[in-house]
Amino acid sequence: MQVTPDRPSFRVRWPVCSGQQRPSRSVKRWLSALRIAFALLFTTFLAIQLNAQSQPGDEVKPAPLLTGSAGFITTFDGGEPHLHPIATPLLLVPIGQRWVFESRATFESDLVQVPGQSGFHGTVEKEVEYAQLDFIANPYMTVTVGRFLTPFGIFNERLYPVWIRNLQSDPLILPIGIGPSNASTGAMVRGGFKAHPKFNINYAAYFSALSTVNKLDSARFAGGRAGIFVPAARLEIGGSFQHGLQDERSNAFGFHAIWQPPALPLDIRTEYARSIVGSGYWVESAYRLSQVPFLQNELRRTQVVARMQQYFVGENASDDLPSVNTRLFEFGLNYYFIDGLKASANYGRQFSSAGNSNVWTMAITYRFVIPLGRTGGE
Amino acid sequence: MERRYILVCLLGVIAGLTISAIAQEHANPASSPSAAAAAPTQSTAANSAATHTSALAKPVPDAAEERALRMEGEKRFRTNCGRCHQAPHKFPPRVMAAAIRHMRVRAMITDEDMRLILRYMTQ
Repeated sequence: MQVTPDRPSFRVRWPVCSGQQRPSRSVKRWLSALRIAFALLFTTFLAIQLNAQSQPGDEVKPAPLLTGSAGFITTFDGGEPHLHPIATPLLLVPIGQRWVFESRATFESDLVQVPGQSGFHGTVEKEVEYAQLDFIANPYMTVTVGRFLTPFGIFNERLYPVWIRNLQSDPLILPIGIGPSNASTGAMVRGGFKAHPKFNINYAAYFSALSTVNKLDSARFAGGRAGIFVPAARLEIGGSFQHGLQDERSNAFGFHAIWQPPALPLDIRTEYARSIVGSGYWVESAYRLSQVPFLQNELRRTQVVARMQQYFVGENASDDLPSVNTRLFEFGLNYYFIDGLKASANYGRQFSSAGNSNVWTMAITYRFVIPLGRTGGE
Repeated sequence: MERRYILVCLLGVIAGLTISAIAQEHANPASSPSAAAAAPTQSTAANSAATHTSALAKPVPDAAEERALRMEGEKRFRTNCGRCHQAPHKFPPRVMAAAIRHMRVRAMITDEDMRLILRYMTQ
């Protein structure tokens, strides 16, 4: 089929007349942002109108909280020791019936031995990972503005804190799709609801603006994530999509799954991600030894973990990702002393054309909760 | 594909899902998905409708209903919270209320699950 150069288009074009200038690129961007904001507001307004009488189910007035986690992680990477103390306080301030302000910061250091000096040396890195205001518009939708963790895949948003993750090392593909500093600056709508008697649906759609502020940088992109959760099978599967709105304007996509067989104390998690900077996957299984018939007091606190992951280099290089194709196998043991206090020991073997290496990790992590007000328990 | 088409499609899907879910519940509250899913096992099936109704309408439950609510709350707690982390112990009510509101946003648990988990964790 022949296509004529001046084929009529159905797209709306800016009128171009003699003496009339095209709107600048920045004006177009603002108009585009306005359109998106209007669409978000309209969707929110529609949902609020349809379910105007619905109230969040807080029968108890929530108290502000300072929670988060702290950990001390020791790594031997290729024989080189690293000491990695980390603290991630999370401030939660519920406001009224529908609002929450939440912010998480990270204080961490990578202490290494310097030739010619005794001891370990390093600097403390400080970063506000996110600071977001959430408005629970109705049971189906929450609107978030500010700086938020990019909802691409599951690890960045839900499994990142050291007290949650089963293995202390990040998956190789973690940097894919989450932007610089793991966060976005902009707006997001998200929620979860029961769409069918047998499954729930959860979703997130977001827009992030470009920010070059030190420690608060973000890229300009838009995307979404959706998942289906089947409570009876304890299975969640979902996918993520992201479209870059700067530079190469490339796309990224991924899939994730979480399965906890109801009959076993077993967690199986997996993620796949692909973008212009690379692609890869990880599969992790964690088995709690609570069904072993002997030494029950100790073994029910013990968890055996294994993870396999593979990364393939993409067209564009990224400093946050390996420079060559890499495979990594990891095995770990977690011991839960009490709620929130965990000791971990992991071993990993990395295979790549840059050289194979062993990675040993030992860690102790703690999750703390400090109410900033009356707790209602007295 | 133009980015605005992607965004419009995303927004359309979200709006459609939201409207359809709200319409389902408004059209047939007695057999709503929430009520049906409130039955964890056959042994508690008889209490499921009461469970859902009482969880949302907040009447004073009797002992059997209270027990059913707790069972359902515990089940939802293990199902939802256990997806990402080990189940924490119970916290004071106002602490738990703040944590569950945070998890509603972070883990995108449903409104009904949030109510039942909060009830279980604060009693």
